[in-house]
Amino acid sequence: MLEITSTPLVIMAILGTVGIIIPIISIARKEQGSNSFYAVIAFAALIVSVGYVGYQFINDNVAPAALFSEDVLVDDAFGGLFAIAMLLVALFTTVGSITYMRKHNSPAVYYSLILLATIGMVLVAYSTDLVMLFVAWELMSLPTYILVGFIKKNPSSNEAALKYFLFGALSSAIIVYGISIAYGLTGSTNIGEVIQGYSTLDPSLLSLALLSVGMFIAGFGFKMGLVPFHQWLPDTYEGAPPPIAALLAAGTKKVGFAAAIRVIVLGIVVLNLDWTLALGILAVMTMTIGNIAAIMQKSLTRMLAYSSIAHAGYILIGLAVAPYSSLGLQGSLYHILNHAVMKGMAFIAIAGIVTTLAVTNLDKLQGLGRRMPITALALVISLFALAGVPPLSGFWSKLMLFGSALDAGSSLWWAPWLAIFGVLNSALSLAYYAWIARKMYFEGETEKRVKESKPIIAVMIFSMIFLIGFGVYPEPLMQFVEFATPVISLDLMP
Amino acid sequence: MANELIDFTLVSIALLGIGIYGLAVKRNFIRMLFAIEIIINAANLNLVAFGRFLPHSGGQTLALFSIAIAAAEVAVGLSLIIVAYRMYQNIDIEDFRSLKG
Repeated sequence: MLEITSTPLVIMAILGTVGIIIPIISIARKEQGSNSFYAVIAFAALIVSVGYVGYQFINDNVAPAALFSEDVLVDDAFGGLFAIAMLLVALFTTVGSITYMRKHNSPAVYYSLILLATIGMVLVAYSTDLVMLFVAWELMSLPTYILVGFIKKNPSSNEAALKYFLFGALSSAIIVYGISIAYGLTGSTNIGEVIQGYSTLDPSLLSLALLSVGMFIAGFGFKMGLVPFHQWLPDTYEGAPPPIAALLAAGTKKVGFAAAIRVIVLGIVVLNLDWTLALGILAVMTMTIGNIAAIMQKSLTRMLAYSSIAHAGYILIGLAVAPYSSLGLQGSLYHILNHAVMKGMAFIAIAGIVTTLAVTNLDKLQGLGRRMPITALALVISLFALAGVPPLSGFWSKLMLFGSALDAGSSLWWAPWLAIFGVLNSALSLAYYAWIARKMYFEGETEKRVKESKPIIAVMIFSMIFLIGFGVYPEPLMQFVEFATPVISLDLMP
Repeated sequence: MANELIDFTLVSIALLGIGIYGLAVKRNFIRMLFAIEIIINAANLNLVAFGRFLPHSGGQTLALFSIAIAAAEVAVGLSLIIVAYRMYQNIDIEDFRSLKG
């Protein structure tokens, strides 16, 4: 049994209570207007949750990354890393929404839904049972469908929500079907027992086990934005309110990887088949198609959406080589943490640009470096970090990912090609990121500086400190990631 | 024999096929929502059938959870469809073309 003070239960209690109380307060006060009041409550709840996760880490109450547990949840460091990343993204979204929500109705419901979605995101990473994983997955998805379509009068917000809903509902249907096959084959829904059951499976049933793993890859792949399943993603990010695009790109997408690492990677190890090649091909396709499509975009939001598809490809490199190199999963987790901050920051910067200037078209960004200096500087830093330019934090995680691919080259002949494609793609992405920077700083007439929103500047400064600080001095973050990475090897049996 | 596991599994696979066909061919949003519901119910049938032939009730429990979640999902989906209908007077997915690039 989990103790009552274990991290997932405490986070669930804090965020759940506050998430339910916020709408009740708004009904009791019989008013809709006071947007920043609800934002402050949500912010306080998230800060307390982050503090609790950190406190548990500092007091060594957290188990090292456990692969399996007999319970439905496990309080381990792997979940803790995702909890910190997801709570940070939720904090960014909450703070970044304050200015945006001034122009829109029912802020109480909005912040409450962000908190509820955050509970789902955190719980997925802690789940060690397929039932818990599925329920948490839906708890994450359902509020985000509503948040994407939150601006009811705006046709593109609604269209984005409908597309997101259709693919999201399909992905959860596929996941339930995969769970039902896994349950039928092994008689259990506990991930450890399922994988143990797979390793002793009658060979005639192996194709069914492969079908269930394939369904998990497809189901989680929709949320991760892997390439055959990515069509909804740019439309949804473009139509959604920009702070919610940050929540989707930096939050729910990473949760797909948490679920994938808990289920797919371990399943691959035990099924003892060369699934790594399939994941490697997916990784190359995802990053190449994402980057090539990003070059052709005219809207900044869409370009970042395609770049987040490309980053799903980079993270997948680590999953593909995980059984052959201990650096693989470590690099993936490191990049997930970095990408959560970089992408969250970039989309919140867009939220700032949209609320003050109401443009996302790249041609209209000329001279942004003089009109909104802090936002523009932060956007450029996040873009360079996404490309992996050295003194920034994104460089180290990419180095670790590509290093793991080279490291696995001794047992997999094709693994170094993953690193080559990764480096080529990073160079390609630097081209269009630098083009944005040029547009913002070296083009357009000198225009007057406009007033930037203070909450968004706070987010920008925090994430700039994170990216530059951990870029110059990465050791603490690396040690933390190493502690949070589960050990996977080919001779592993639960 | 009506009580064999294979009968339930075959029905479930047939339902999965119907769901995928509906998603691929239909363009009305409510029809596509129903196709997804059929896939979820195919999975539920699988779970309950497997649970019937196993010594414990884990499958039935998961099926109950999944039914409740599917109901919540339909509620969200239909509310989005109502908003879309008020805007476009139509729920054909081909008409939603304002976002592209």
